[in-house]
Amino acid sequence: MMNRLKNLPTLRVNTSEKVSVNYKGKRYEGFKGDTVATLLYANQVRIFGRSLKYHRPRGLYSLDGECSNTCMQIDDIPNERSENILAREGMNVKEQNVKGSAERDMMGFIDKLDWAMPAGFYYHTMHKPAKMWPLAMKQIRKAAGLGTLDHNFSRHERFDEIFPKTEVCVIGGGPAGLCAAHEASKNGLRVVLLESRPWLGGFYEYRTSVDEEGDFLYSKARALAEKVENDPNIRVFKHTSMVGAYNNNLITAFQKGGKSDPFQERYIEIRAESVVVATGCIERPLIFENNERPGVMQVGCAHRLCRTYGILPGKTAVFSIGDDLGLEAALDLFDLGLKVSCIADLREDGQDPDLLEKIRKRKIPYFTGRVAMEALGRKRVTGVRIGTIDGTVDETYSCDLVVASAGLTPVTGPITINQGELSFDEHTGFFLPSKLPEKTHVAGRINGFANPSSIEASGRLAGLKAAFDLGVDLSEEIFDAQEALADLPGPQRGSKFVTGPVSGRKSYICFDEDTTIKNINQAIKKGFDVPELIKRYTSAGTGPGQGGIPGHNLPLYTAKFKAEENVKIRPTNQRPPLVPVFLSTYAGTNHDMAKRTPMHDRQKKDGGIFRRLGVWRRARYFSNDFSCRKEIENVRNNVGILDGSTLGKFRIHGPDALKALQRVYISNMEKVKQGRVKYTAMCNDDGCVIDDGVVTKLAENDYFFTTSTGRAGSTVEWIRYHTRFDGWDFNLVNLTDALGVINLSGPNSRKVIEKVVDQDISHEALPFSGVKEYTVSDVIKVTVMRLGFVGELSYELHVPSSYMESVWDLLLDAGKEFNIRNFGVEAQNVLRMEKGHVILGQESEQRTNLTDINMGFLWYRKKKEAKTVGNVALEQTVNDTGRLKLVGIKMKDPSRAPGDGCVIVDDSRVRGYVCTVRKSFSVEGVIGMALVEQPLAKNGTALSVYEDECQGELSEAQVVPMPFYDPEGKRMKA
Amino acid sequence: MALTITCPVCGKRDGYEFRYGGEDKGPRPDEEGMTPENWCDYVHMNNCVAGIQKEWWYHRDGCGVWFSTHRDTRTNLEISDSEAK
Repeated sequence: MMNRLKNLPTLRVNTSEKVSVNYKGKRYEGFKGDTVATLLYANQVRIFGRSLKYHRPRGLYSLDGECSNTCMQIDDIPNERSENILAREGMNVKEQNVKGSAERDMMGFIDKLDWAMPAGFYYHTMHKPAKMWPLAMKQIRKAAGLGTLDHNFSRHERFDEIFPKTEVCVIGGGPAGLCAAHEASKNGLRVVLLESRPWLGGFYEYRTSVDEEGDFLYSKARALAEKVENDPNIRVFKHTSMVGAYNNNLITAFQKGGKSDPFQERYIEIRAESVVVATGCIERPLIFENNERPGVMQVGCAHRLCRTYGILPGKTAVFSIGDDLGLEAALDLFDLGLKVSCIADLREDGQDPDLLEKIRKRKIPYFTGRVAMEALGRKRVTGVRIGTIDGTVDETYSCDLVVASAGLTPVTGPITINQGELSFDEHTGFFLPSKLPEKTHVAGRINGFANPSSIEASGRLAGLKAAFDLGVDLSEEIFDAQEALADLPGPQRGSKFVTGPVSGRKSYICFDEDTTIKNINQAIKKGFDVPELIKRYTSAGTGPGQGGIPGHNLPLYTAKFKAEENVKIRPTNQRPPLVPVFLSTYAGTNHDMAKRTPMHDRQKKDGGIFRRLGVWRRARYFSNDFSCRKEIENVRNNVGILDGSTLGKFRIHGPDALKALQRVYISNMEKVKQGRVKYTAMCNDDGCVIDDGVVTKLAENDYFFTTSTGRAGSTVEWIRYHTRFDGWDFNLVNLTDALGVINLSGPNSRKVIEKVVDQDISHEALPFSGVKEYTVSDVIKVTVMRLGFVGELSYELHVPSSYMESVWDLLLDAGKEFNIRNFGVEAQNVLRMEKGHVILGQESEQRTNLTDINMGFLWYRKKKEAKTVGNVALEQTVNDTGRLKLVGIKMKDPSRAPGDGCVIVDDSRVRGYVCTVRKSFSVEGVIGMALVEQPLAKNGTALSVYEDECQGELSEAQVVPMPFYDPEGKRMKA
Repeated sequence: MALTITCPVCGKRDGYEFRYGGEDKGPRPDEEGMTPENWCDYVHMNNCVAGIQKEWWYHRDGCGVWFSTHRDTRTNLEISDSEAK
C-alpha cells in the first residue's frame, strides 16, 4: 500500500483493516471505508474510463458522483458510480466504454475527429439517404455509450421499502441540517434526516479550520452529529440519497445498505408535514481547455481525498480557484506535504485576510485575477497554462495535479422538482429560490452563507419555522432567531465567471455527454437561445450526473455568450430521480402474500399441487396426471370432495337490501325465497357480465349471496358504488374468510352427507336448488345448498372457518366406505365444462355480455324503476349481430386438446377463440367451449384452430350442441 | 403517489388507501327513451377539466365508504369544499 496518511483525526477509513478489490486481473488493496474510486486512486489508478463520445480519458473529479467520469462496472453491474460505492472485499471492478483498456483505448483517436461531430450532428447528418441511418446507428452505438449489461445478468440481492411518516423531513446532514433537526426535535417534533454520504457533517466534516470560538470544524461536526444521532425524536438515514419531492411534501429517497443491513438498497417514501432543504452546495466547474483531463479535480475532491481518505492527491499542484474554500484547501494540503506551485484566484478581492496571511507566510506564489487556461498532457496532467482573465499574461507550470473550481453552486433540485422556482441572485451568483414549495424552508450554505455561525443560525431558524408549520407557537423565537442571523455575516459574494479566453474546442461544460462550449456556441448560433433548448440540442446535462456539472454553468455561459447584462435565463429543469437509482430499488421487495383456505395444510398433505388463483393459493391437481382422470371419474361414478372456501360469501340486510340487489343483479330478485337458492349474474354498465353466483333469503330484508372467487374483494365496493346516490339503508357483511366451503359431489354424495347431518336430507327434504341449515355433531351449524356446478348430485356446505377441518374429517370418515377422494380445481374445471357451465373470465372476457354466453334467461327486463346495472346496454345490444357467441365445440383429432386461448381463424382473419377445451373421459372426444362470431355459431359449422407454433397446420373443430354431459340434468337433480 | 384524500369518516389519509371512482356525473339517468349515444356519454365520457373537479373516491383500505370530494387536477391537490365554491 502506497504511503497513505494514517494519523489524521479526520479520517473515515479504518487504517488497520484492509480491503481488496479485483481490477484488471490484479488485487488492489485499500482500507475499510474506502470507496472503490479512492481505493483505486490510492493505487495510482488515474484513468477510470473513457468518455461517451470522444473516448477521452477520464479520472477522479468530484468524489460525490456528480459526473460519469468514474462510472465503472462493479460486480457485473454497469454504470455504478465508483465514488459512491464503498469497497467490499473481493469486488470485481471493470472499466467501461473502452476497446482495449482505459489506459490504451483503441477508440481514443475519435477525440481528434470532434470537428466531424458538431452539436446535434446526428440530427442533420446520416439521414440521407434514409437507408443509411440504420447502418450509422449501429456504428454509433458500438462506439459510444457507457457500460453494457450482460443479457444473462440477474440480481439476487434483497431490496426493501419503507414508508415512514414524519413531522419534519430535513434533507442534508451538514451543520445547517443538523441544527435544523435538533431545533425541531427540541420543540417536540419527530424528524427524519437524510444524508447522502455515509456520515453526517457536510462541509464541516473534513475541515481543520476553526470557528470563532476556536473549535475545529470537524470536531464540531462530530459533536453535532452525535447529538442528533442520539436524539430519540430524530431518525437519521445515512448513505441515503434524496431522489424525489412531490406535492403534499412527499419525499422519496433510497438508502445503500451496509454490511449488517438486510438489504442492498432500500426505497424510502417519507410523508412529511414540513421540509427543511439543507442540501448545501457542490462546486461549479471551471471551464478551460482539457478541463477534464485526469489530474484535474475539484477543490473538495482534492481536500477530501486527503483529509477523509488519507491520500495525498498528487505531488505538485496548481490551484485555480474562485472561493476561500480553495485557499483553505491549498494551505491544508501544503501543510500535509503537497507541493503547491501556484494559486491562481479568479477574484480580485474579497478573500479572507487570514488565509492570505498564511499563504504569504508559506511563500506560496499567489495571483489574483488569474485562471487556468489549458491543462497540458496527453493522458494525464503534466502541466497547466495559467493566465490573466484579459489574456495578457500566459504562464506554464508543470504539475501532476490541477485543482480547479469556479466557485460553488447550490443544490436546488429538491426545491425545483417540487414546483419551486429559482431566480438569479447578483450578489451570490446563485440561482436562489424565489418561490418555495408550501411548508418548505431552506437552511445553510444553499443560501450563500459561508460563515459557520451564520450556517448554524440559519439551520436553527429553519428548524423553528418547520416547527411553526406544525402549529407550535414560536413567533417570538423565530423573531429572535431572525435577528440573530441578521447580525451575523450574510451570504458570501460570488461570481458569474465561467471561462477565461479559450477557444473552447476542448473545454467541456458537460462531461457525461462530451459537450464543449464550442458545441454550446454552435447551438446558440443555430437559434437555440435558452438553456432548456440548448440542453436538448447538445444533450448537455442529460447524463447520469443529472446536470451536476453543467447545471449552473450552462445558463451563466449562455448569458455571457449573448452578452446579457443580467442573467435572466433560468437553469434547466431537474427531474426525479435526482441521482441514478436501480429499478429494483423502486420495485422493492416482492412479498408474495397469498391467502390460504382453512384446508390448505390438509390438502398439501394429501398431495395437492397448488397454483396461484387471484389472491389465493388453491389445490389444482391431486396427482401428476394433469388430465385428472382419476379425480374426474371418481366424481362421476362415486363421490369427491373439494375445498371451495375461496368463494365470495356475503350477507346483505336492512330495509333497502332488496333494492340494492335489484340494482346490481340482472334477475328479478323479488323471486328469491327462503329455503331456495337462485342462480343469477351481475353485469356492468356495458351489459358485460362480471360475476355470477347464488342468492338466498335468510329472513325478511336479510339475504345471503355468493360471488366468484375473483370478485370477492370488490363486491362491497361495487354494490356501494352503484347505490351511492340513493342513500339506501342496508348493511353488507363480507363473510368470505369467516366461512369455509366444502363441495361434496357425485352419485354417492347423499349417502355420505346423510350420515353426518342431524336432519333428513333426502331429495324430498332438500331438493335441487334447495338450501337448509343443518347441525353437525350437535354444535356445528352448517348451511347446505343443493347445487350442480359439476353436473352431479352435489352439496355445497357453508361451514364456519374454524370448524372446517372437523366437518371435513367427519365427511371423510363417512365417505370411507365409498372411497371418497379429493378433487382439485382442474378436475372441477373439466367436470363443469362437460356440463356446459361457464366460469366467468374463462368463457367470457371484457367485451362478453350476458346474452353472448347464453345466459339471457337470467335477465328480467321489467324492472326499469330499479335502474339495474347493465339493463340499458343489454337492451341496446340484444339484436346486435356483430358479437362473439359462446358455443360448444368438438375437435376432429380425438387425441389432444389445443391450449386455452388459441384463436379460431379463417383464411384471412381471426374469428374467435377457444375458451376451454379438454379431452373428456365422461363423453367421447376432445370437447370444450369457444367464443366465435355469430355467423359461425350455428351447429355443425366447421372451425379452424390456430395454435402457437403450429407451422400453419390448423386443427379442425366443429360446433356442437351443449351440454355434452347429461343434457336433461337428470343426474344433477336426482 | 403524493396525493392525500380526506375521508369523511377517517380523516386525511394517504392516497394509496383509496380507489378513484371517476368524475361526479350525477345520479343514474332514467332508462326510458335512453339512446345508445346518451348512455355511452353517461357511462364513458368525461369532462377532463384542467382545474377543480368534483369526483368520487372509495376508502378501500379503510372504512369502505364512497364519497365525493374536490381536487385540482393541475396540482393533484385536494381542495376543501368551501374553497371549491
